[in-house]
Amino acid sequence: MKNPYEVLGVSENATDEEIKTAYRNLAKKYHPDNYNDSPLADLAEEKMKEINEAYDSICDMRRNGSSSRSSTGSYGTNSSYTRTSYPDVRKYITEGRLDDALELLNGVPEGSRSAEWYFLMGMVFSRKGWSEQAYNYFQRAYQMEPNNPEFSAAFNNMNARRAYTNPGYNTDTTGMGCSTCDICTGLMCADCLCSCCGGRSC
Amino acid sequence: MFGYIKVDRANLLGKEYDAYKGIYCALCKQLGKDYSIFAGFILSYDCTFYAMLALDLAEKPPCYNDGRCRFNPFKKCLYAQSETKALSLAAALSVISAYYKLLDNIHDSPWYKRIAYRLIQPFFAGWRRKAAEKYPEIDRSVKKMLDNQLSAERDPGCLLDMAAQPTADMLSEMCALLPDNIPLREPLKIERTKRILSSVGYYMGRWIYLVDAADDYNKDRKSGGFNPFLLSSAPSDNLKEYIEGSLNHALSEALLSYGLLDRGRYDSIIMNVLRVSCVNIQNKIISEFDIDTNNTEN
Repeated sequence: MKNPYEVLGVSENATDEEIKTAYRNLAKKYHPDNYNDSPLADLAEEKMKEINEAYDSICDMRRNGSSSRSSTGSYGTNSSYTRTSYPDVRKYITEGRLDDALELLNGVPEGSRSAEWYFLMGMVFSRKGWSEQAYNYFQRAYQMEPNNPEFSAAFNNMNARRAYTNPGYNTDTTGMGCSTCDICTGLMCADCLCSCCGGRSC
Repeated sequence: MFGYIKVDRANLLGKEYDAYKGIYCALCKQLGKDYSIFAGFILSYDCTFYAMLALDLAEKPPCYNDGRCRFNPFKKCLYAQSETKALSLAAALSVISAYYKLLDNIHDSPWYKRIAYRLIQPFFAGWRRKAAEKYPEIDRSVKKMLDNQLSAERDPGCLLDMAAQPTADMLSEMCALLPDNIPLREPLKIERTKRILSSVGYYMGRWIYLVDAADDYNKDRKSGGFNPFLLSSAPSDNLKEYIEGSLNHALSEALLSYGLLDRGRYDSIIMNVLRVSCVNIQNKIISEFDIDTNNTEN
C-alpha cells in the first residue's frame, strides 16, 4: 500500500487540520459526481477509495490504534439506482457498451420519452465525448423534472464545466485577476519596503 | 496542428520555463536530426506539448545540456535529452501533420499560394515518408482524421460534436500511443494511463478544433467556408456564450481527465497550459471576435 501521507500530498509532520483540508480538497476533486458522466468514472472511484483509505489510516495512526472510523459515508459513491425505467440502459452505460445503450434508447417511441430517457441520452453522449449533445439532453431532462436530484446534479455539473469552474481544481481563481492573497502579499511586501525607509504602509 | 497549446510565460517560474524551452529546442534539434535542418521550421507548440506530456510519463527524467541555437549561433539554449522515444514520436507527429496540413492548404488556397505550396511539397512528402516508415500508426491516424473531417463537413446533418470528433480522435490516438512506447514512471500502470491520456488527448483535440473554428469564424462567415459555429444547430443569439461554453467544456474535461493521472515532473507546466494559457488564448480570440462581429453588423 502507498504511503497515506503521499496519497494526500502532505508531510508526515502536518497538523490534523492540514490533513483534513488536504483530504477535503482531494475529495472535492475526485468526487464521483464530477465523473459520473465520464468514461473514466471507474478510475475516479478508485482514486476516491484510495484517498478515503489514506485518510482513515492516518486518522487511525494518530489516534494510536483506536477504532477505525469510516469516512466513506460523506464522500462515497451513490451509484445505487432505486427507481429506474431503463435498468438495461444503465447497465450498458456502466459497462461502457454505449452503442448498445443508444440502440435501446432509440427504440423508445417518441411519445413515451420521459425525463429519465433524456438524462440517459445525455449520459451516453457525454461518455462518448459528444459534450454539446450531452448538454442539450441534460438540460431537457432538468427542465422536465427540475426536482430530481440526479438530473439537476448532471445539469449543474455541465454548467460548472461550461464556466470552467471545476470543484477542487481552483480554475475560477486563475487568469489575470488579483486574489485577496495577492493583495495581502503585496501589502506585506510594501510594508517591508516602507520599513526599510523608516515608515509604515499601514 | 495549429499552435494554440502554449505556456503562459508570465505565470511560470524561471526553472519551469527553462524546462519547457529545453523541450522546445530539443524537438527542433530532433527534427533536424531525423529529417532535415529545414524541418525545424515546422516546429509547433502543440507538438512541444505532446513531447512534454511524453517526457512527463517517462521513468527516467530527461537530462538538460547546454548548447547553441541551430538557427542563431549567438544564442545559448538548453536541450532536453531523453533515452526514450518521446522526442522522436513528437518529431514524427510534427512532420506527418505538417504534410497533411500542406495538402489541405493546396486544396483550399488561391492559385498563387498553391504554386508556393507545390514547390515545397516534395520536401514535406519525403519527411513524411520517412516518419511513416518509423511510426505507421501516426500516419494512419492523421490521414484518417483528414478523411473523416471531409466526410463530416459534407454531411448535411453535421453537428458540432461530429465536426470536432476527427481532430479529437486523432489526438486521443496519439496520446494513447505514449504508454506503449515509453517506459512509465512509478506508480503509473499502462492500461490505466492509456485510458486517461486517451481522454486528455480527445478533449485537447476537441479544444484545438473548436478554438481554431472560433478564430476562423468571421473569415468563414464571409467566404461561406465550413465552420461548426455556423451550423444550424448553433444558437443565433448569445453566440459568444455558446462558443465560450463549448471551449470551457472541452478544457474542463481535459483537466478532469488529467487530474486522474499521478502527478509527474512537468505537472506545474501542464497545469499552466490547461488552467491559464488555454483560457487566455480562448479569451483573446473571443474578445476579438466580439469586436469583429460588431463591426460587420454595423
